[in-house]
Amino acid sequence: MTTAEGESVIEVSDLRKTYGETVAVDEVSFDIRDEEVFALVGPNGAGKTTTVEILECLRTPSGGSAAVLGRDVTRESRAIKAEIGVVPQSFHTFDRLTVRENVALIRRLYEEGLEVDAVLDELDLAEWAGTPFRSLSGGLQRRTGMAMALVGDPAVLFLDEPTTGLDPDARRTTWEQIDRLAERGTSVVLTTHYMEEVERLAHRAALLLDGSIEAIDTVPNLIDRYGGSIKVVVRSSGEVVGEGSPSEGALRAILDDAATEVYRTKTGDLVGLFEERERAQESYSQLHEHSDGRAIDLVSAGMEDVFLRLAGGTPDARGELE
Amino acid sequence: MKRIAALLMALLRDWSRSRETVFFVVLFPIILLVIFSTVFASSAPSFGLVVQNGDIGPGGEPTNLSATFVDRLESIDPLEIKHIDADRNLTEWSRGSDGDSRRVLVLPDGFAEDVRAQSARVRIGIIRDTVARFQDDMNDSERANVQRGLEQAEREIARNATGATLQFYAPPDDQSAAVVRGILSTVLAEFNQRSIGVEEPPVSLESGTIGSAGLTATDYYLPAFIATLVLINGVMTVPGVIAGFHQDGTLKRLVATPLRKRDWILANVLQQSLLALVLTGVMLLVAAVLFGVSAIPSPLSIALVLLGAIAFSALGMTLGCLLPNPDAATSLGGIVAFPMMFLSGVFWEIDIMPETLQTIGRLMPLYQFHRGLRRLLIVGTTDGVWPAFATLGGMALVFVGLAIRLTRWRDFEE
Repeated sequence: MTTAEGESVIEVSDLRKTYGETVAVDEVSFDIRDEEVFALVGPNGAGKTTTVEILECLRTPSGGSAAVLGRDVTRESRAIKAEIGVVPQSFHTFDRLTVRENVALIRRLYEEGLEVDAVLDELDLAEWAGTPFRSLSGGLQRRTGMAMALVGDPAVLFLDEPTTGLDPDARRTTWEQIDRLAERGTSVVLTTHYMEEVERLAHRAALLLDGSIEAIDTVPNLIDRYGGSIKVVVRSSGEVVGEGSPSEGALRAILDDAATEVYRTKTGDLVGLFEERERAQESYSQLHEHSDGRAIDLVSAGMEDVFLRLAGGTPDARGELE
Repeated sequence: MKRIAALLMALLRDWSRSRETVFFVVLFPIILLVIFSTVFASSAPSFGLVVQNGDIGPGGEPTNLSATFVDRLESIDPLEIKHIDADRNLTEWSRGSDGDSRRVLVLPDGFAEDVRAQSARVRIGIIRDTVARFQDDMNDSERANVQRGLEQAEREIARNATGATLQFYAPPDDQSAAVVRGILSTVLAEFNQRSIGVEEPPVSLESGTIGSAGLTATDYYLPAFIATLVLINGVMTVPGVIAGFHQDGTLKRLVATPLRKRDWILANVLQQSLLALVLTGVMLLVAAVLFGVSAIPSPLSIALVLLGAIAFSALGMTLGCLLPNPDAATSLGGIVAFPMMFLSGVFWEIDIMPETLQTIGRLMPLYQFHRGLRRLLIVGTTDGVWPAFATLGGMALVFVGLAIRLTRWRDFEE
């Protein structure tokens, strides 16, 4: 996926949100460009949803500024809402209305928009158009939410954790739909704690931790910078191996000599990042000789490595940092 | 306007597809109307009274006079007379009573003798009084003869006779005891008059009904039902629904569109107003078909129903904003609605309550709403209905404003 270049549709500067003493978003700054899929990545409580809800005009910032399509989120919320589509994290709508009725309701709330049936067709929902919302599966409910977000023909689409809780098939279908939107030129702001999703969908991503942005760039650049192009992972044996133990010391020394960076994950794995595959291969062979029965893998780096490097762990399926 | 109409249609569709809601909001009140109307139209109230006649003659039978008195009681329609034996201990009997007939009237031993003695004493007094008035027209001999006759009669009256005293017992929680006591007092007054020879009382009372001729009990209960339904729908149902939309995220989804807050409030209030109109129509239809009610709604009565629906549903929306939990919001609605129902004189006359509660009851908007509806629908007059319009209109303005002010359109609690 290549980086989209274009004008900014969202500009955020020193954005801050506090709840009493708790700082949820701490002077965050970034911009999102036209026709770009931008991911806000982070574990639960990192401030992703708070940040996007400020941009959706659903939450009032405590400080800083944010503009969507050139309009201020605190003063011009109605004009912004007319130009955006939103699928909230805990999406729900009128239970007893059918899919078509729910989408048609939202369509009537916008001055301009798309044909309801065309949107249902595009999202493969025509078959369930007459089904009450309450009778749909979780995946179809989320897809209905997507249709409701798209029917106003938004310039910017906000998807807050769009695949959380979905089965693999439903997740793949959602990804394909986001792909289609990106191809159509819709700017998409995505929050997620699935690294695979970021790699698959996003042009750029910002890693949020404790309300602050730790890193922001295109996804390939983030992986290059923080993940390394290839890595050697010495898996934890499950037993506690002290850093001072003979085998641990030898393994660490091999990695320290050859890798550009070495770090330990919270689960005990020892990871060495390499720029060149040949050096990684050499180290992999040396490590095997001193492995003492521990598994050693040679793997390509990804967003998960970026996360591991910056956060010291990766979010589990529920978004909690492991 | 387009947005309000779209939302209104969605709310009505969503509402109409909930079987539980339709049952409780439409069918349940109709069932209540049928039950209440059937019960109140077909039978007059009756009050149980247990009589213990202790005035037993030498033959073991009640004396003629006490039996006559009891017969008179049995001829009174609202009284259902039962008997217990003269020698039964009342305290023991009341412990074993099933509670249906806990009021007791005791005719004491010597009842007939005491009545006769007191009656004779009163008659002698009357004769003495009459003689005193006409003594100038009598000669000495006539006066002496009358005096002798009266003295002889007085000697024949038992010296200790002071008149009979009946005893009436009722439990402290018996709200109908006062009514039964009133009936007994009337029967006693009549009995006393006859015992001294007054067959035709100089003053008598005739009673009848006022209002439109030909109206049934259902006609009179209809305004109460309509007013109560509008209240329950607005103050108890709406808060739960609104809090539910908050809680499940439906409102948040709508807020993320260009929908205005006031459009949301107005669509909900309009939905409740339409429901109130439909309900009123259905109730009138059911009452007309089943009970032959003749109440025809006028434009003013329709306007009052609409105003009531707006006022109470706006109050409900305000309550729904205060508590985001549907159960808690419904309970809060109940806290507001139930005292209003009990104190506003909707189902029983406000006059039977203590004075302080009467004052509070008259301040309740439901009191004005019910009175206004009754005058418009049943009495067929516009006299005295304007306080209802003013109260509900003011209430609608205040609570629509408050609902708009309090409804969150940002910063939802999670």
